[in-house]
Amino acid sequence: MALRVDYEGSNDVGVFCTLTNSYCLVGIGGTQNFYSTLEAELSDLIPVVHTSINSTRIVGRLTVGNRHGLLVPNATTDQELQHLRNSLPDEVAIRRVDERLSALGNVIACNDHVAIVHAEISAETEQALVEVLKVEVFRVSLAQNSLVGSYCTLSSNGCLVAARTPPETQRELAALLQIPVVAGTVNRGSELIGAGMVVNDWVAFCGLDSTSTELSVVESIFKLGEQGAPTSISNQLRDTLIESML
Amino acid sequence: MTSMYNFKRITVVPNASELKDVVLSKTQRKTPTVVHRQYSIGRIRAFYARKIKFLQQTLHDKLTQIINEFPKMEEIHPFYSDLMNILYDRDHYKIALGQMNTARHLIDGIAREYVRLMKYADSLYRCKMLKRAALGRMVKLLKRQKSSFEYLEQVRQHLSRLPSIDPATRTLILCGFPNVGKSSFINNVTRADVEVQPYAFTTKALYVGHLDYRFLRWQVIDTPGILDQPLEDRNTIEMQAVTALAHLKASVLFMMDVSEQCDRTIEEQLHLFESIRPLFANKPVLIGLNKVDIRHRADLPADKAALLDQLEKEGIPIVETSTLTQEGIMSLRDRACDELLAQRVEAKIQAKKISNVEDSVLNRVFVAYPAPRDEKVRAAFVPPGLAAKRAAKKLAAENSMEVDEVTTTKAGSIGEFRDENTRRLEREIELAMEDDYILDLKKQYLLKNPDEKYDIVPEIWEGHNLADFVDPEIQSKLESLLKEEELLEQAGEYESDLDSDDEETKEKMSLALQIREKEKLLTLEHAVNKRIAGRVGSRVHTRKRERSMSRLEQELGDLGVDIDTKKMKNLQGQCAKPQLGKKMKVGRSRSLSAVRPAPRDEIAFPDEEKRAHVNKLRTKAMRGLRREAKKGEADRHVYDLKPKHLFCGKRGNGKTDWR
Repeated sequence: MALRVDYEGSNDVGVFCTLTNSYCLVGIGGTQNFYSTLEAELSDLIPVVHTSINSTRIVGRLTVGNRHGLLVPNATTDQELQHLRNSLPDEVAIRRVDERLSALGNVIACNDHVAIVHAEISAETEQALVEVLKVEVFRVSLAQNSLVGSYCTLSSNGCLVAARTPPETQRELAALLQIPVVAGTVNRGSELIGAGMVVNDWVAFCGLDSTSTELSVVESIFKLGEQGAPTSISNQLRDTLIESML
Repeated sequence: MTSMYNFKRITVVPNASELKDVVLSKTQRKTPTVVHRQYSIGRIRAFYARKIKFLQQTLHDKLTQIINEFPKMEEIHPFYSDLMNILYDRDHYKIALGQMNTARHLIDGIAREYVRLMKYADSLYRCKMLKRAALGRMVKLLKRQKSSFEYLEQVRQHLSRLPSIDPATRTLILCGFPNVGKSSFINNVTRADVEVQPYAFTTKALYVGHLDYRFLRWQVIDTPGILDQPLEDRNTIEMQAVTALAHLKASVLFMMDVSEQCDRTIEEQLHLFESIRPLFANKPVLIGLNKVDIRHRADLPADKAALLDQLEKEGIPIVETSTLTQEGIMSLRDRACDELLAQRVEAKIQAKKISNVEDSVLNRVFVAYPAPRDEKVRAAFVPPGLAAKRAAKKLAAENSMEVDEVTTTKAGSIGEFRDENTRRLEREIELAMEDDYILDLKKQYLLKNPDEKYDIVPEIWEGHNLADFVDPEIQSKLESLLKEEELLEQAGEYESDLDSDDEETKEKMSLALQIREKEKLLTLEHAVNKRIAGRVGSRVHTRKRERSMSRLEQELGDLGVDIDTKKMKNLQGQCAKPQLGKKMKVGRSRSLSAVRPAPRDEIAFPDEEKRAHVNKLRTKAMRGLRREAKKGEADRHVYDLKPKHLFCGKRGNGKTDWR
């Protein structure tokens, strides 16, 4: 199921939220609208946690995590770390990493098994990814976009990359990630997929401006709907996509 | 979406007399109104010429606005230009706009002519008469175009009420005889609310509705019914339908009344279909066999059924529908949309010639599937509660559908499937508490002991960041240490007495004591010295004489040299002896100087007494000058203590003060 939400008027929900299969982090905002949408959807399955990272609300861009763990940048204060530790289940490991590219969400995209990272990430961070998130790590760049976390989103079911990624890159990614990869947009044509949406293995939240075509692509590639499967993108949705884009 | 064809923005066209009043009063208001006979003639001419030019400019602007805002028949989509031709008559429309243009030209000409004439006017009166004539002629031109203004205003009103049809988008067009159920169909598939009545020509204009299908927005156009007659006999209402059919690249739904309740037999209806068939060229056409709730297709007489079968053989699908029971409506809609979409996509792909893989459209319908890399299973993780939750949700949805099927008050709110057992949302709490709401971050903490949730943990304690001292393994470390200690104790490690009384140790101890005492002494001495050195006093006290007999004696004595004071007697004597004799002079000797004459005052006044007197006089005489010399800029100075103008002349009444 894919839902449209907005964070205090912004479509970039991926900036203010980190969603994994075992927890969800939400930036502390002025009102509880966004939080409660997620809370209503998720709180009986996983904890939905208010947090700030280095006193900012852009938790989605600064942190990276999956079912096994969570990496936070070095700027995270001790209090925030303590709060996260108290709020997350004990199975989830938390580590603070000293990475020069401190917006971890922008430079790392991962699911429960594989992570793709920016080419210039430090060896220590890579080590932390392997130890804490228990993933295989691959250094890639999506065509001319080296910020993999901003330009793609992945779950264990599929991966959505920015629209201008060429098919060869998509094939390589699919081989690395072992999941189907499709190029697309969210929020009415935005290529910043990672910033525009969050997804886990059973639910996705997209920006409020996302068109129904975009949502249907999201549901298909991440296998969220009841009938959704990645094959439908090249079959049922093909005509709609071409018609709406040309 | 249809911004290009938005005719609602055309400004109101004023009628001629209204426009006349408006422009004349504007001229009066916006130009100077005062002129005098005694002004130079150039000024008077300029005054009136300005008025003429102003009126001309105002009228020019107004007419230009009208000409520009109305759509140009040649530039708009042929569908709209034909529709406008039918509704407003192309010639009439063009003439009206042409007359606006002519009027503009004429007004410009008149103004130019009168401004030129103005320079021959030699008096205010003549200037004024020329201005009057110019204004009058310009305004009269407007009056002559009265009918055009009225016509254009009517056209504007009608245009603004036209439905906004986008000729380029995905469209379904309904057509057929009057009263076959076209409007009922559009009411069923879209939210358009077209009037449906049981008589012919209920729909007299084009209506537009929109529907969503396959994540796209579709435009449905309901046309007035058309009769089976040659094109030249068709009336305006029918022609609108024909225009839409002819110019819009759309899917055509030809509606038929299978029950023949519209007073047309099936043969007649099929004849109409054949006669307007040229309009359907290259478009997907479907036939909707409507009103099957009254008579089914199977119940038709054989000859009529054969006609329909014939048509179906030609490749035109026939879908049985009933707008009353809604049977077949969705399938007709879906088939029409699918056929049009397929056609449009094919056309687009061919037109764009998307062969290069760089194009972002084709790679967006391309899904890259992985080839298995290894045997590892990378399954999706679904929490155990999810399936149950979904089932419950589905059940709740079905229940609510059953309960309020009629009302359908689906608010789509957050708490749609929530009951009293589910947790209260933050948003609900926030709304309930209004301004008093404070976000409680600790509420959902997952701690071993939930009572500790709200414990206050200081961030900084005695200047130390607590987090720096947190060690998650401290408990286990302590335990292991304790265990080790216990083991050591058991092994008797602490029982043996390490203090043995052998000689070596004693000696060492005494030495250590000496060292310690010495250290203490040195520290004290150092402290004393430091105090002396650090004391602030006069140089006399702090500077100690460095070389002295006694120090020399002491230091050398320490070194083992015995210095007897007697032995050094010579040295002492030398020191004590005063220096004798004059220093020898070296270098140039002092030069001789000439004898100076006595001071001049002494020469002038050899007498002492006199000289003192003179000196006194001189000092006195110089007193004023000296005072002047000492004056600075900042000193108060009155230039004229008694200005003459204040101290002479007659006094009037009450003039004493200012003097």
